[in-house]
Parts: sequence; structure tokens; C-alpha cells
Amino acid sequence: MLDRRLPAPLTLTALAVVIGILVTTPLLINNNVFHHTLILIGIYAALAQAWNILGGFAGQISLGNAIFFGIGAYTSSLLLVRAQLSPWLGALAGMALAMVLALLIGYPVFRLAGHYLAIATIALAEIALVVFQNLEFVGGAAGISLPITRDMQGRPTDSWWMLQFNSSKLPYVYLALGVLGVVQVVATLLDRSWIGFFLRAIKNDQTAAAAIGVPVARYKLIALLISSACTALIGTFYAQYLLFVDPETVFGLSLSVLIALVAILGGAGSLWGPFLGAVVLIPLAEATRSQLGGRGTAFDLVIYGLLIMVIAVFQPAGLTGLPERFRPRQRTSVAPAAPADTQMEESLRS
Amino acid sequence: MSLLEVTDLTMAFGGLVANDRISFTLHEGEVLGVIGPNGAGKTTLFACIAGFLKPTRGQVRFAGEDITGMRPDRICRRGLVRTFQIVRALPDLTVLQNVMVGAFLRTHAMREARQIAEEVLAFTGLEARAHTPGKNLTIADKKRLEVARALATQPRLLMLDEVMSGLNAQERQQAVTLVRAIQRRGISILLIEHIMDVLLPLSNRVLVLNYGKKIAEGSPDSITRNPEVIAAYLGSSYASPS
Repeated sequence: MLDRRLPAPLTLTALAVVIGILVTTPLLINNNVFHHTLILIGIYAALAQAWNILGGFAGQISLGNAIFFGIGAYTSSLLLVRAQLSPWLGALAGMALAMVLALLIGYPVFRLAGHYLAIATIALAEIALVVFQNLEFVGGAAGISLPITRDMQGRPTDSWWMLQFNSSKLPYVYLALGVLGVVQVVATLLDRSWIGFFLRAIKNDQTAAAAIGVPVARYKLIALLISSACTALIGTFYAQYLLFVDPETVFGLSLSVLIALVAILGGAGSLWGPFLGAVVLIPLAEATRSQLGGRGTAFDLVIYGLLIMVIAVFQPAGLTGLPERFRPRQRTSVAPAAPADTQMEESLRS
Repeated sequence: MSLLEVTDLTMAFGGLVANDRISFTLHEGEVLGVIGPNGAGKTTLFACIAGFLKPTRGQVRFAGEDITGMRPDRICRRGLVRTFQIVRALPDLTVLQNVMVGAFLRTHAMREARQIAEEVLAFTGLEARAHTPGKNLTIADKKRLEVARALATQPRLLMLDEVMSGLNAQERQQAVTLVRAIQRRGISILLIEHIMDVLLPLSNRVLVLNYGKKIAEGSPDSITRNPEVIAAYLGSSYASPS
């Protein structure tokens, strides 16, 4: 809505080129590391877009979106391990559970002014982390490994129904891009509907929004519900890709922060910011992770924190806001207009 | 028929009584002016009526329904909308988008909201600014946008909080023309204004507040002759205009 609109044919061409590149390169470059990076980009871009609907459009900052991600990952995994249920159905169950939790968080929190959403989501994600680490029923700190799907002869096989592919990463690449596509379409449709207008009005000035009839608390809740459902869906997909879930990975604070950071770096509130942020940040994050050593050091969190501060101070609009920065200054208020009074007189006469 | 009925409205902030047992009635189609010196409680009164403050005591009835303490968006849906003295143009949204937010109260269809918004922009003379972001407007245009956005919600009663203050003479004249045009559309108006010369000719009746109390109510003529009003607010210079 707020993007400076390119002419429609140009936008469509650009979109077609991006989709074309995303679809063809995984086929041309048949390399596991490349495929893995693409999958992560897809996942994080989708997660950041889900965050963006809430944080970017509506201005409601969540620093605990991992709670919904973890619920999605654990729900489908547990249903798969305990009841042999297809992850497709598990995903639906996870989304429903995430939305119930979102309702429980959002209903009280959105009746308060201030940044209580950030506090509430961080707290709940941390509680979930500890609970899942100590609950044997859900695998404890060691987590859950998902069973390999096998054919009649007992060999690992591919199955769309069980959402598992053992012969190649390629289906996961397209699934990740598909999930990203779904979330991207959801965000675009919201952006172009009254809901998007209401969310942006709330972000801009919620008192003014209420004065012209926007039910502020209800629409914040709607944004949270949509964000949580999308995040849970991605959680299920992530579990199916790793075939493993553990509390630290899916509920950890560093995941929540990284989700927000990808969106903020790309440009919070813009439709293509989350994707751009993921393309730039995820390969970097992967590289630094392998260079700086693994978990437990929390060094990645230090870097993320620094990045957030730098962006907040120097480039709050993120990467998608950069062209604006280098554009020659144009004072819109001096733009030629019909003399206001004659114009108004005319319109009043008609 | 009375559209708005305020009865014994009291708003106290701790020991400070901003509105003290204020009662008045606004009739359908009327422009009711509210004047009073700074701090008389005009804006507080607005906030209480429109649901931004919950009055300590008293009742507000709109179109026969008790709306005391109701949420602002619900009151707006019933057809009572206010503007803000400190303008609150949504900064990142263009003028057209600002007005469309208001229009979405009555429809969820993009095309229809856009139509309503464009019509309101034409009516308020903001068409040329349609694609200017709210933050880049002049103060006069921001005030006009406040009115346009409120009109897009298709109100029965429009409450204008000092839409003329901070405007130059020419801009003020345009605003007066606009208020008259709104009244001709059949929309009732409750007008707070501190500039007497503007308020009196516009109002059918006038309400005078001082220190949170209503000290007078009546026709613009009778108000300017009321000794209590002259003493409290106008000063002797108004009684004998120079």
C-alpha cells in the first residue's frame, strides 16, 4: 500500500523475474549447501513476513514469535510420533493451537497501552523453553526425532503425504519457497484490504484511528492471530525438514530476535522487506555461525543486538528504505496545485 | 429533535474539576458553538462526549441512546465523530489513504472506500494533495484532512475542535466556507473555537464555559450582550468593537 508504486507491468515483470530465478536456480545449481541456504532463506523470509504483519504493519512488536514457531513444530511432530498423523493435519492442529494461545496473550495485552506484547511474548517463549526441556512426555531437553518414512523394502523414501523427502533436498527447497509464497500472498492481500489500512492507521496513531472508528484492540488481535498461525505453519515445515525438534532451537530467544531482525533489517512495514532481509542476513548468519562456533556462546545474539541498534539509529526504514535516502529531495508540499481557495469554492458550489 | 443530550456531565482529575455539571442539548441540523478561555474545559468536554475520557458523573445521550463511557470507535460507528485540536494526520499514509481509513468504517470494499474518500477530498478541496503523505502537509491542510477523515465516516454529528486556530485569514475563510457547506449537507456540528469573530457568525446557538462550568447559553447575539460572559471572556474591548 505504501510502497511507491511502480507501473503495474514493471512490477509484474520484476515479480516474474524473481520467481523465475527462485524456481530455476535450485535445478541448475545442484549443491546441498546452496539448497540448504535457500531453504533457510525461504523459512526466515516467511517467518519475518509473519512477524511483519504484526510488527511492521500494525507496529506491535513481538520479541517472542518463537513461541508460535515452537508450538507448530512440536504439535505436528508429537502427533506424528504418537499418532502417526500426517504433518499436513499436524500443521492445522499447530496453527489452531497457536491461535488459541495468541488469543490468550492478545486479549489482555492489547487492552493495555505500551510494549506489553514484547514482554508477554518473551516471557511465554522462555517459559515454554523451560517447560519443554523438563517435560519427558515431549522428549525433554533432548527433543524428538521424527521417524524416517520407509518403503516396503524398508528403504528411506519420499512421501508428500508424510511431508518427508530422503532422496534430495530439492522438494524442501520448493516447499520452503511455497510456504514463503503463501505467507507473502497473505501479507499482500492484507495490505490491499481494509485490514491493512486499519493496521497502518493503528501503527501511525491509535488515538486518531479510534476516533474515526477503528476498533484498535480487535485489529491488533487479528494481526496477532494471522501472524501466529503463519509462524506455526512454518514451524511444522521446519520440523519436517530437520526431522528433529528440540526446545532450544524452536523456543529460543535467539530465534525470536533473528525473526524480528530479518524484518527490521529488510524494512519493517514494507511488503518485500522481510524477503530482502532474509536474502542478506541468513547467508551471513550461517557463515558467522560456522566461523564463531555453535550454541551456548550467545555471540550471535550480541551481533543481532548491535545490528538492531545500528539500524534503529541510522536506517530505521531498513534496506527497502535505502532508495528513498539517495533520491533527490523533493518537497511535496510545494508541488504545484490549483489555488486552494478557488478550487474549494468550485467544489463547494457543485 | 435533540440529537445530543448532555446531562450533568462532570469530569474530575483528582481535585481538579475540568467539567462541572454541564448540561446542554444539540438539535439535529444545528451548529452549536462552544467558547471559553483557555483551560475552560472545552477539549475535556469533547473527550468525554466522544468516549476518550470516561466522565466521573453524568450522562451523554446520542440519538436517544446512552453512550456514556462507550469506546470511541463504537461511538463513531453510531455517527458521532470528533477532530483533534492538535492535528493527528496519519504521517506515513497519503491524504487519500488517511481518508480511506475513515471510509472503511461503512464499507470493507476497496473501490467503494476509495470513491467515498475521493468524493470527500473533492468536497474539502484536498484533491491536489491526494497523494501527499500526511507528514508533508501544511498545518492548514492537516486541519482540513482532520475534517475530511471525519466526514468519510459519514457522521450525523461532527465535533470540530479548534479547526481554525493557527490559520491565516485566508485559510480561515476557507474553513468557514467548509463548515457552512457541511451544515448544508445536513450534518450537525459541535464547534469549539476560541476565535469569537469566527465562531459567532457560524453558530446557531452558543455555549460558554468558564472554569469548567457553563456560564451562558443562547443565540450569538444574546451571548455578546451577556455581562457575565463579557466579564469572564470577552473583555470590554469586544463589547465596543474598535
